[in-house]
Amino acid sequence: MTTAQELRDKKQLYFDDVSVGQQMPPLVIGPLTPTHLFRWSAAIENWHRIHYDQSFAIYHEGLPNILGQGSWKQSILPRYLKDMCLPDGWPWKVSFQHRAMIVPGDTITVWASVTKKYEEEGLGFIDLDVGMRLQYDTETCPGKATIVLPIRGGTAIPYPFVPPKKLVSQ
Amino acid sequence: MSQAPATGESALTPEVKAVIGVKAEKIEASFQWGIEREGLRIFTQAIMDPDPRYWDDAFAKTTKFGDIITPPIYCTYIGRRQRPGTEDPVTLAFQQNPNSDGIGGVKGAEGRGGLPPVPTHLKRILNAGNEIELRQYPKLGDRIFSQAKYADIKERVGKDGSRMLIVTMETIYTNQNDEVLCILRASGIRR
Repeated sequence: MTTAQELRDKKQLYFDDVSVGQQMPPLVIGPLTPTHLFRWSAAIENWHRIHYDQSFAIYHEGLPNILGQGSWKQSILPRYLKDMCLPDGWPWKVSFQHRAMIVPGDTITVWASVTKKYEEEGLGFIDLDVGMRLQYDTETCPGKATIVLPIRGGTAIPYPFVPPKKLVSQ
Repeated sequence: MSQAPATGESALTPEVKAVIGVKAEKIEASFQWGIEREGLRIFTQAIMDPDPRYWDDAFAKTTKFGDIITPPIYCTYIGRRQRPGTEDPVTLAFQQNPNSDGIGGVKGAEGRGGLPPVPTHLKRILNAGNEIELRQYPKLGDRIFSQAKYADIKERVGKDGSRMLIVTMETIYTNQNDEVLCILRASGIRR
């Protein structure tokens, strides 16, 4: 897990230093416990019992255990990309699908690999395959992301971020 | 398995096409006191993100953002919280059904700003994936507004020839200055 001090001291990753095929440093979370799941349910006021009531999940719903929340997964991916871009890059967008269930005991490796890099309006864009892999290599949240990294000697990434018109789909 | 020919009438009827672009009411997702520090602490600790940009004022002032920031996706959850002064939805749900799953009947705030149903006979809904686009980090004190719309509806034919709809809902989250913070696009399969 990343520490507060590591995020405070984070050195900038530059567009120039990234290459297609590169595996980005992973973020490992876990093993998850029922308490982690309960904490998330409480934080967002999601009272669905399949996430914290083991008897209900198993005996009423026929599930193998209480389940990790899709909403938690979709909050972890932007967090991972944010960390990757700090301090001056921008985690522009991420898309993903929910696949395999997460249950207590699982350890999750959040990962990304570079599929494309390109410049647009003087900004450096990096396309990534991303996901959250379980300890037995099953992918639970495959997706794609695009981040913007500073180019050495280039223009600063605007904040608030305004995507180049050419890259906006609608 | 080879592709079977499409069966039956198109599911993309004129009535379905008519809801593309329909917008829901724009609502204030946050409470009237806006984003506050304690809610931010609880949220960021639940995603196990110790980033000092979320809690260390002195450090936050040295960053390009100039102040304490909030994960943009936080916007998408604050509107689901129970609003002060409303009847306790959890108690109500279990009064109505002692075996409640905890979510059926727990209305909370989710009825606000909702879209009208898609007029289709296809009732089964499956998650087809989400996209989150980030423009700006919300700040402490920001008031968050959201507006949903049906961004797109397409027809697809399954391998068995059955027709289905891919419904994409887009929700734009803005602050009190009407600046876009993040855009959530959620796609669902109707079959």
